[in-house]
Amino acid sequence: MSTGIKNLVRTLDGVDFLKMDRRTFMKAVGIMGASAFLGTYKTDIVKALEFAETKVLWIHGSECTGCSESVLNAGNPDLVQALEKLNVNLAFHETLCAQQGIWNDGKLVNTSELNSEILQEEIYEEGGYILVVEGAIPNGPDGSGRYLVIGNKTFKDTLGEAAKNAAAIVAVGTCACYGGITSADSDVAKDTDYRGVAFAKTDKSKGMLQELNIDKPVINIPGCPAHPDWVLLTLGAVILGKIKVPDDLPALLDDYNRPKVFYPPDHTVHENCPRRGYYDRGEFDEQVGGEKCLWKLGCKAPYAHADCGIRRWNGSVSMCTQAGGPCINCVDPGWPDTSRPLYVEREDIGVAGANIDTVAKVAVGAAAVAAGVHAVRRMKGE
Amino acid sequence: MVNVTVDPLTRIEGHQRISTEVDANGVITDAQSSSLIFRGFERILQKQDPRDAAFLTQRICGVCPLSHGLTATNALDDLYGVAEHVPKDALVMRNIFQGLNMIASHATHIYVLFGPDLANPAYRNVLTTLGDTGNSVWKEMVGRFAPISYKMDGAAVPAGSSYLAALPEKKRLQEAIALIGGRMPGPSSLYPGGYTYPANVADITKLSTYYLEVMDFVSSHTLKVPFDTWIENTYKASSPQKAVSFVTEHLQGLVDKSVASNDFSKEAGWGDVEFYAAFGSELVGETLLGLPASLKHDTIGGYKDPSKICFVAYGGYYKPKDGYDPRSPEGDRIFTSGVVSGNLEYLKFDPDKITESTAHSFYKNSADDFAPAEGETVPFTDPEKIVFTGGSDSQYSWDKAPRYDGIPGEVGPLARMLAIKEPLVTGLALAFNEKGYSAANVYTRMLARMQETAILAYELLNWVTVDYEPGGKISVPVDLNAAKNNKGMGLWEAPRGALGHWISAGGDGKVTNYQCVVPGTWLMSPRDSNGVPGPLEQSLIGSKINPVGDVDYTNPVGIYHMGRSYDPCISCAVHTIDLTGKRAPNTLRIL
Repeated sequence: MSTGIKNLVRTLDGVDFLKMDRRTFMKAVGIMGASAFLGTYKTDIVKALEFAETKVLWIHGSECTGCSESVLNAGNPDLVQALEKLNVNLAFHETLCAQQGIWNDGKLVNTSELNSEILQEEIYEEGGYILVVEGAIPNGPDGSGRYLVIGNKTFKDTLGEAAKNAAAIVAVGTCACYGGITSADSDVAKDTDYRGVAFAKTDKSKGMLQELNIDKPVINIPGCPAHPDWVLLTLGAVILGKIKVPDDLPALLDDYNRPKVFYPPDHTVHENCPRRGYYDRGEFDEQVGGEKCLWKLGCKAPYAHADCGIRRWNGSVSMCTQAGGPCINCVDPGWPDTSRPLYVEREDIGVAGANIDTVAKVAVGAAAVAAGVHAVRRMKGE
Repeated sequence: MVNVTVDPLTRIEGHQRISTEVDANGVITDAQSSSLIFRGFERILQKQDPRDAAFLTQRICGVCPLSHGLTATNALDDLYGVAEHVPKDALVMRNIFQGLNMIASHATHIYVLFGPDLANPAYRNVLTTLGDTGNSVWKEMVGRFAPISYKMDGAAVPAGSSYLAALPEKKRLQEAIALIGGRMPGPSSLYPGGYTYPANVADITKLSTYYLEVMDFVSSHTLKVPFDTWIENTYKASSPQKAVSFVTEHLQGLVDKSVASNDFSKEAGWGDVEFYAAFGSELVGETLLGLPASLKHDTIGGYKDPSKICFVAYGGYYKPKDGYDPRSPEGDRIFTSGVVSGNLEYLKFDPDKITESTAHSFYKNSADDFAPAEGETVPFTDPEKIVFTGGSDSQYSWDKAPRYDGIPGEVGPLARMLAIKEPLVTGLALAFNEKGYSAANVYTRMLARMQETAILAYELLNWVTVDYEPGGKISVPVDLNAAKNNKGMGLWEAPRGALGHWISAGGDGKVTNYQCVVPGTWLMSPRDSNGVPGPLEQSLIGSKINPVGDVDYTNPVGIYHMGRSYDPCISCAVHTIDLTGKRAPNTLRIL
């Protein structure tokens, strides 16, 4: 943590989170990270325990489990401690739960203590849970959703059932948000017809919930994978009532339903990149393994609206560009198509559809940054 | 006969269904393993920059992304003709990177995915009838391995001590990977010809600190014999017999000490490895050590016909010198490539003997069997045809069926440990074989994973503190033109087993063909064109759904163990092989 942030944390220490207005709260959590938030504010956490237990239902569609893996990497406190502190009951999570689907002659048997399918039905019935979706949802083939069938049910139907009685819905990872890697341009894409929960790439009218005629707000936490802080802080804010769903969402989310606090519309990864100094001096690496700016190796950080540069990853030890690989802008609704080719510099990039008003401005900003690189290059006579 | 189906098999990566027919004695007479998803990953690299593969194939699996990234990088080293020149320190960095991931992945499997089944009430029902010893053993099982959000008879069960202690260690290992790879999952540090991040002295010190912290966990929970003593007498033992004797004598000492007190706690010297090594097996626990009961995990998950199975390792971890051979001939890697027959005979690995069948998979291909480089992936597009209940003669999975020289292959820790002739695992396999058990079973599969974790911890320390030299050369330049009309092959070992990527590029240097054959596909495969079941299916058929106690169709804990003992990764398995879709489903094919 930089000295500035440390000072801020010190100043805020002891402030009652429950009394803090939403704006200050979001600012604070944005800058602090999950560990500081959940670790420092013990008084509020204790008060949180007085809240009723919050159930979280975490379902997996077409995914690689990378986002669950990422959340398991959450800082101090870790996921288990966070769940305890926020009085969360992780009622179902396919990779972590004790249960599995058990069928005898085609009928569900045993109880929810061992049978995951009975457990999920009980959770749906009770309602009032926070639904977390990881992974994209195939609509194909032919709108049947049968490219993913779990427990004799298409995942499309499962999403519909789970969404109906949810108190809030959070899509975790670029796949669940926009389709991600499974929606990449290809000649089977129209057969598989992968969707995000509330978007298909940048298209707000083609999310799977719209397809199912379910009108519910969705918070998107993209990233491939999503950063554990982004996930836990958002869940924490919803549970503590700091984000009221749906009333607060229009002010807090951008056009792609991303919390602006983590995906700032006016800030890119480039601005806080550890290699930024080299960029400013016009010094670029052209072979991997160096320490200079990675622009010529295809870095997309000037287009990436995320706070990776401040927050860093895995206990803040590093980030993609710090380790010498280019940023691939994995939080973009159009990822990976908007970032390919990954190792080639792109100046004509269309971030998330440049026709949309606010994003257009951002794209212009990013282009200006790219032009800056040009200017520097010209200065050096390259 | 009762149809007992587990769908979904949770606590794995991805979505899997196991359907079985079970007789009145609880013995499985028929089984189908079905992967439940088509991701359509296959087309995305076509006509693209080959280098994107190191990033994008990582998205096949978020548990072992860097294994895919590294296998792709091997294929790219070959494609650009730089494999022989990759500097030693880049190769050692790649070893450290993969070693950390394999340890983290195994620890996750042992404690988070497989372990919770040891707290299944089926064991309580048997053990608590066995007096004080049984009660103590059950107390240990539930007290160590219960997962989070667990309930029994309506009462919440606190998460187990080992389970809870393992989670932060997994996180710590991921942090160590991020230190040298940018982040985890989804690291950014792989590139043909080298590695993007030269660790400095401070990083080496940090890695050593992580190592010591993880070893603290190991000595408190996992293994109570001093680590060096264990390695010296097992991995470094002069013969398989000596390694087995060392372990059985150590366990006998513990049993002698604990049997009167019924104290099987960690404090009494029973680390999780010792505990499972003794109580997991009928042969070791009951016959050799004279324990009153065991979990009988050696009686399930074995192969009944050794002529229908083999063990395949492609080879992983580079030797600490400049360059390597992309075809991974015997002895080229620290974990050598190798093939071991069902009767434990050693054969030379030849990548050209790999084929894949789609006879029982949801694809409408022009033929049933292909070499990976010739593969087709034309998915069913009629929803009515995607049916999982058609039985063993039908098409019932999104997995294809890889075969080695026509035979199904088990890949993973057990295959790797056999291939390197690791003394303890080899000794156990021989002992089980001799006593009429299958050499491969749930118990040996788990012990091989535990032993491999220990070996990697040992090797890792050498890589970090001896082989890697900060300040050395970390990459060689790559001539992108070298890819034109060229091919590359990447052979490697992911935590779950042998992983291969094949790439071809056209005259423009762009990808024309990209294929993967991955561990999950080998392990979970359906029947092939000869009707021979895949490894998991073979291990199910003839095994009991309840290794101990009465037949209980409603809680087939044996199926959970058998399925999870392979550490299945379904997202890997159903990436669907042909990453370019050379033969697209909706285009006319002119032959």
